[in-house]
Amino acid sequence: MSEVLLEIRDLKKHFPVRGGISRIGGGAVRAVDGVSLEVRAGETLGIVGESGCGKSTLGRSILRLIDPTSGVVNFSGRNILKLNRSQMRAIRREMQIVFQDPYASLNPRYTIFQTLSEPLEVHGLFDASERKHRVYAILERVGLDPSYASRYPHEFSGGQRQRIGIARALILQPKLMVLDEPVAALDVSVQSQVINLLEDLQDEYQLTYIFIAHDLSVVKHISDRVLVMYLGKMAELASADELFANPLHPYTQALLSAVPVPNPDVRRERQILQGDLPSPANPPPGCVFHTRCPIAEDVCRREIPEWREVKPAHFTACHLVKGGTP
Amino acid sequence: MHKRCQTTLPGGAVLSNVLEVDSLSVEFRINGEYFHAVHDVSFHIESGETLGIVGESGCGKSVTSLALLRLLTKNARVSGEVSYKGRNLLDLPDREMRQIRGNEVSMIFQEPMTSLNPVYKIGAQISEALRLHTQTTPRRAWQQSMEMLRSVGIARAEGVMGEYPHQLSGGMRQRVMIAMSMVCNPQLLIADEPTTALDVTIQAQILDLMRKLSKDLGTSVLLITHDLGVVAEMCDRVAVMYAGEIVEQGTAKDIFHNPQHPYTRGLLNAIPKLDAASKERLQPIEGNVPSLTRMPKGCHFAPRCPLVFEKCRAEAPGLFRVEPGHLSRCWLNDAQEGN
Ligand SMILES: Nc1ncnc2c1ncn2[C@@H]1O[C@H](COP(=O)(O)OP(=O)(O)OP(=O)(O)O)[C@@H](O)[C@H]1O
Ligand SMILES: Nc1ncnc2c1ncn2[C@@H]1O[C@H](COP(=O)(O)OP(=O)(O)OP(=O)(O)O)[C@@H](O)[C@H]1O
Ligand code: SF4
Ligand SMILES: [Mg+2]
Ligand SMILES: [Mg+2]
Repeated sequence: MSEVLLEIRDLKKHFPVRGGISRIGGGAVRAVDGVSLEVRAGETLGIVGESGCGKSTLGRSILRLIDPTSGVVNFSGRNILKLNRSQMRAIRREMQIVFQDPYASLNPRYTIFQTLSEPLEVHGLFDASERKHRVYAILERVGLDPSYASRYPHEFSGGQRQRIGIARALILQPKLMVLDEPVAALDVSVQSQVINLLEDLQDEYQLTYIFIAHDLSVVKHISDRVLVMYLGKMAELASADELFANPLHPYTQALLSAVPVPNPDVRRERQILQGDLPSPANPPPGCVFHTRCPIAEDVCRREIPEWREVKPAHFTACHLVKGGTP
Repeated sequence: MHKRCQTTLPGGAVLSNVLEVDSLSVEFRINGEYFHAVHDVSFHIESGETLGIVGESGCGKSVTSLALLRLLTKNARVSGEVSYKGRNLLDLPDREMRQIRGNEVSMIFQEPMTSLNPVYKIGAQISEALRLHTQTTPRRAWQQSMEMLRSVGIARAEGVMGEYPHQLSGGMRQRVMIAMSMVCNPQLLIADEPTTALDVTIQAQILDLMRKLSKDLGTSVLLITHDLGVVAEMCDRVAVMYAGEIVEQGTAKDIFHNPQHPYTRGLLNAIPKLDAASKERLQPIEGNVPSLTRMPKGCHFAPRCPLVFEKCRAEAPGLFRVEPGHLSRCWLNDAQEGN
């Protein structure tokens, strides 16, 4: 097995709630509330979970685009939360992010050439002619005609813009890429082009991906392992094949049963979650999922379930899943 | 209690098609010239039926639905016939059109902020819609609105009734709009990407609600989406659009089990499947959708079609009948071609 590239320990990001709007007052939104995991070099870790469960916040905290409240983020063996600004800048080259909205994340007044060459300039890499050479090479690599370099973002379709976003992240030859819903805004045919591209690039450059998405079939397709989050916490973690074949946490089970399948003969019995959607500013006591859990018992309302390895390499936090050790 | 599903015309004829769209075309004026965004689209919806429209971004799904309700901008030129229970909506006086909109026919828009008024509280907006179209007391209307919010999965319904649209998350706004469109028990519900912004557990809840509406009250649904899973789960029949035209139409089984048009096959091949062996390579449709101003002369799909042959580039195919009710706009389905 390859070496651990990224190690996260008990990572938390709490956003203060400003008084006035919230009735709770003085509290905090626990966007990420104690996440610990390891990602190996060359691996793809998928992250899924409901809207607002903290996926993007986790992704941004890992790159230190926002400063976590507490915890440890070791990247290539160094805790990046302890680095000063210039050390951080040096290491940022190796960790890049691609955002969901390919339009909002590109500067509309920059040509594609400027967009792609800027990261190289910021990091003081190469002379002008080498930069130019690299911009054209990367355009070609993501399947865009080099003649596009002089055009502006609004002249491109959604799928083409997403390729530009990927090219911009890639031009620095990072080790780790956080892909935050990179295909959510694209329709199926363009989506499959972009996914294939990501897979090819990973093979070619031994990239490590953290792939955030809410489309479970996409996540299953691209990930080696998948993390399911609920309300800022880890609910379940296993290899993609194991998680989809054998989901243990009731939230994962509900999530999987809710996915519509493209086959009219398979109109399945869906498990529709009832109950209150809790707020991360006021998380329920005990297991955060108990307000909507179909099988919750007394203990779930009282005690926070422990994170346990219930089968080899299959982790979950649920009182009612048997077996395993913390 | 509720109106019957069928419309009886004077003279006793019974009509079971709630909506019949015949040769609908929409052109937009772009730099002084008109270009087709929707071309010669025809379909019908029976009462209690759900018809899906699928297709790539920009193929004309939203423009079609906006044209039905006469909600397009001034630079649009619309032709054809949209017959709702025997009346052509395109000729109706504005006043009568307003009567139908939001009452018998309601719409869920792709972008929720377009139909929520930013200066009114949620409760006022929903119960107002209800009071406008039904004779009910303000109190009953308030109560009913709150129940509707609960059934679209807003647990904090009472609080939300007193809030303004900007205080809600995107997914909550979407659900408020869904509640508003369903509260009057419409005969026809036009839903444009109703669940795209929502996560799957909430989506399941909303789709369930729409199914219940159509089963219990005979509501017909026109469901626009690019999620083929949602289509398979919800729709009785499906129309596949490409570059402004319907390229294939049939029952959900026809479309998913016996797709004819190369574009439909391409779409179905492109989606990752949950039951597939992981790491199987996806098969995209190569190339891009043509722009309105540069539509190919023959078959619109010809530049991307893996099966293209000479005739496709020269001449536009008509909608050929594969089986009764199953149509395909591809020369390969032309019986005259001797295939
Ligand atoms: N800058 C911020 N200030 C205050 N709260 C925030 C901020 N950013 C995020 N949050 C809150 O933190 C929680 C997690 O948000 P996050 O964007 O990480 O969710 P997500 O899982 O990425 O959701 P989605 O699937 O909708 O993108 C949400 O409740 C959100 O409202
Ligand atoms: N008011 C307008 N003026 C000019 N062109 C328009 C106008 N509205 C839409 N169009 C064009 O008409 C075509 C069809 O647009 P439409 O919104 O119907 O696409 P869609 O199928 O709903 O796509 P999506 O899945 O992205 O919502 C597009 O090329 C669009 O740019
Ligand atoms: S008519 Fe020709 S180009 Fe068009 S879909 Fe059929 S085979 Fe392909
Ligand atoms: Mg996010
Ligand atoms: Mg649309």
